Amino acid sequence: MIATLLFYAFAAVLTVAALGVVTSKNPVHAAFFLVLAFFQSALLWLLIDAEFLAIVLVLVYVGAVMVLFLFVVMMLDINVEQLRQGYTRYLPLGVVVAGVVILEIVHVIWYRSQGLPILSVPTSHGPDYSNTKELGAVLYTEHVFAFEIAAVLLLLAIVAAITLTMRKRPGLKVQNIAEQVAVRSADRIRVVKVDAVTDAKD
Amino acid sequence: MLANYAPILIFLVVATGLGLVLLALGFALGGGQKDAEKLSPYECGFEAFEDTRMRFDVRYYLVAILFIIFDLEIAFLFPWAVSLDTIGLFGLVAMGIFLAVLIVGFIYEWRKGALEWD
Amino acid sequence: MIDLQLAAAEVFMVCAICVVLLVDVWLPDERRLLTFRLALLSLVGAAVCSAYYLPNGSVTAFSESFVTDPASAVMKIFAYLIVGLVFIYSRDFLMRAGLFKGEFFILALFALLGIMVMLSAHSMLTMYLGLELLALSQYALVAFDRDSPIAAESAMKYFVLGAIASGTLLYGISFIYGVTGTIQLGAIAAHFSQPGAITVPALLGLAFIIVGVAFKFGAVPFHMWLPDVYQGSSTPVTLFIGSVPKIAAFALAWRILSESLGDMHGSWQTMLAVLCVLSLVIGNIVAIAQSNIKRMLAYSTISHVGFIFMGFIAGTEDGLQAAMFYTLVYTLMAAAAFGMVILLSRSGFDAENLDDFKGLNARSPWFAFVMLMVMFSMAGVPPFVGFYAKLVVLGSVLDAGLIWLAITGVLLAVIGAFYYLRVVWFMYFVDPVDDSPLDAALDFRVVISANGLGLLALGLFPGVLLDLCARVIG
Repeated sequence: MIATLLFYAFAAVLTVAALGVVTSKNPVHAAFFLVLAFFQSALLWLLIDAEFLAIVLVLVYVGAVMVLFLFVVMMLDINVEQLRQGYTRYLPLGVVVAGVVILEIVHVIWYRSQGLPILSVPTSHGPDYSNTKELGAVLYTEHVFAFEIAAVLLLLAIVAAITLTMRKRPGLKVQNIAEQVAVRSADRIRVVKVDAVTDAKD
Repeated sequence: MLANYAPILIFLVVATGLGLVLLALGFALGGGQKDAEKLSPYECGFEAFEDTRMRFDVRYYLVAILFIIFDLEIAFLFPWAVSLDTIGLFGLVAMGIFLAVLIVGFIYEWRKGALEWD
Repeated sequence: MIDLQLAAAEVFMVCAICVVLLVDVWLPDERRLLTFRLALLSLVGAAVCSAYYLPNGSVTAFSESFVTDPASAVMKIFAYLIVGLVFIYSRDFLMRAGLFKGEFFILALFALLGIMVMLSAHSMLTMYLGLELLALSQYALVAFDRDSPIAAESAMKYFVLGAIASGTLLYGISFIYGVTGTIQLGAIAAHFSQPGAITVPALLGLAFIIVGVAFKFGAVPFHMWLPDVYQGSSTPVTLFIGSVPKIAAFALAWRILSESLGDMHGSWQTMLAVLCVLSLVIGNIVAIAQSNIKRMLAYSTISHVGFIFMGFIAGTEDGLQAAMFYTLVYTLMAAAAFGMVILLSRSGFDAENLDDFKGLNARSPWFAFVMLMVMFSMAGVPPFVGFYAKLVVLGSVLDAGLIWLAITGVLLAVIGAFYYLRVVWFMYFVDPVDDSPLDAALDFRVVISANGLGLLALGLFPGVLLDLCARVIG
């Protein structure tokens, strides 16, 4: 009962937050709405006992991906007004497309819902159930192939990120502190013996 | 299992409530006249010289994305550590390969100089 | 242990990628050729692994998430061959453009690994991971030329649209999982073979999956990215993404649509037929209006995708064989066509426009003839292999009783022949715009000649490849 109430509460906030992401004018606000949406989805996952996924969603998405998002938003230096210039011009077309899509969905669900199977509700587990442990038991054994492919995928992400962003700029002047500290007087000063000038005339 | 998360629910309720109460109190008790000029951002008494958002160096992005990759690696390590007693040697080897692949990536980024700022 | 043997090629490829990566990072710039040689060597090694551990039938491994069968082994070996061609064609171009970095070859090997994983996927999860491996490397490859704003733009378009397509595919997969309760392709097929298993949620999932597949193929109306990406990337990258990934797209459709959702054929046949006809019409007609050769070849790809879909639409064993035959032949033709575009480029000048082919016969009769073979093959002129590819897909569609589709295909193939033959006309009957002789390394000349002659040889003896396809698939 409480779980059902909580589900609707979280789902409502999630929907509002998701709407906020697409409607806010300021991209930074949109990013923060997205954070809220992630939190609410994590709570929804908790309600169906998927605690590991919920925690990872918060840790990885809220903790790391959103930071990246904000970086990008800042980096791009977007002029929001410019982006929205075509908004009213394309609005009628957008409304028509959205209307068609909604009609189609209603058609499919409304007219063909006779005999629509209701998927079974997942049963809740006992208080000692550890979703993380269950996940671990299959992730590294049954799904080991996918797991190793995921490692390769991460390796690819490293290579791609470095390929696309690393750049040695020519002519960049840098200070090598280690070299500066390790320097000896012999490296910098050369004592040159200069003969006194002898042919001076009186 | 959900009962274990009751403290978090209580925390959420209290935090939301407290936040709302503080906002409402500030709104109700805070005096003064608020007009557009008073609420607009300023810079040492002047109009703002430039936009709040300025361009970042792309290297921040590289650091962030490399962080995310290793963050994900940690996310994979967590259930492994919890269930190591049931998955045994097979799981150990599986994680060994996983880490070996990522260590190759680590060596690559180190040698490439992606971990250095200059 | 036996599992590792079955996946020997994939294991080898991962190790090879790590070795190439580590060697490359320690190499000084002037010895970068070693990376190139190692990359070629790893293709040979993977081919040996695939050939040595060739399974007799379909064998699954890693708790049914991986499958290897003769068909996937043959296609993998074909993919190594095409990637090898790509490497050889690209080398000199990359050197001239200052893009000769180890990452090009490493990213291409990553993409190849993704294709191998997809060909051997026996669960939705491995299929998706393989697809992402391929897609992510392709995004990076498109943006590889960092000083080119148009490359960055096309990479951005490709990335955003590709991410949406991946999301759509994943959403469809989640519906199928919700209905069947499994992600293993065999178990999904078993579920849908029961009577009354095809429900509205399953159809909804199917529709999303078709959208994802159509995007990866570049079928109309999900083709918008294709011309821009082909045009925007530097030619070696276009050569890569224009050829090998079609094998992956075939794997996606084959494993998911034919193998696991085969019992829903009645439902997806119409959807694919719509995509097929649209691709044929838009691809062939818009290609006529192009003056950029890369864009023209992009629209030609779209029309070829229509033909590949025909094999799936037929839904028979013959149709599948025809689609496989068409895919393999197409990758060979695309490699040769983009190889010719690279051949015409020289330092400081990228051949991009149809005009660059004008008077090629006067500059180099032999390479004009190679290009003629490629264009005739793409147009479907006998005795080149492209003709047989079209013949077998049209035959399979006719056998399935879809006469209207076959007629549409023939009509549009005739329209499409125009823009291929226009290139031939330019080469032989128009005066050259510039007379500078073609210069290319010996291995480039030999390989591209062999590639072109291969199209003729396969056309004279189409039975070799056709029998192979018939023997391994279906």
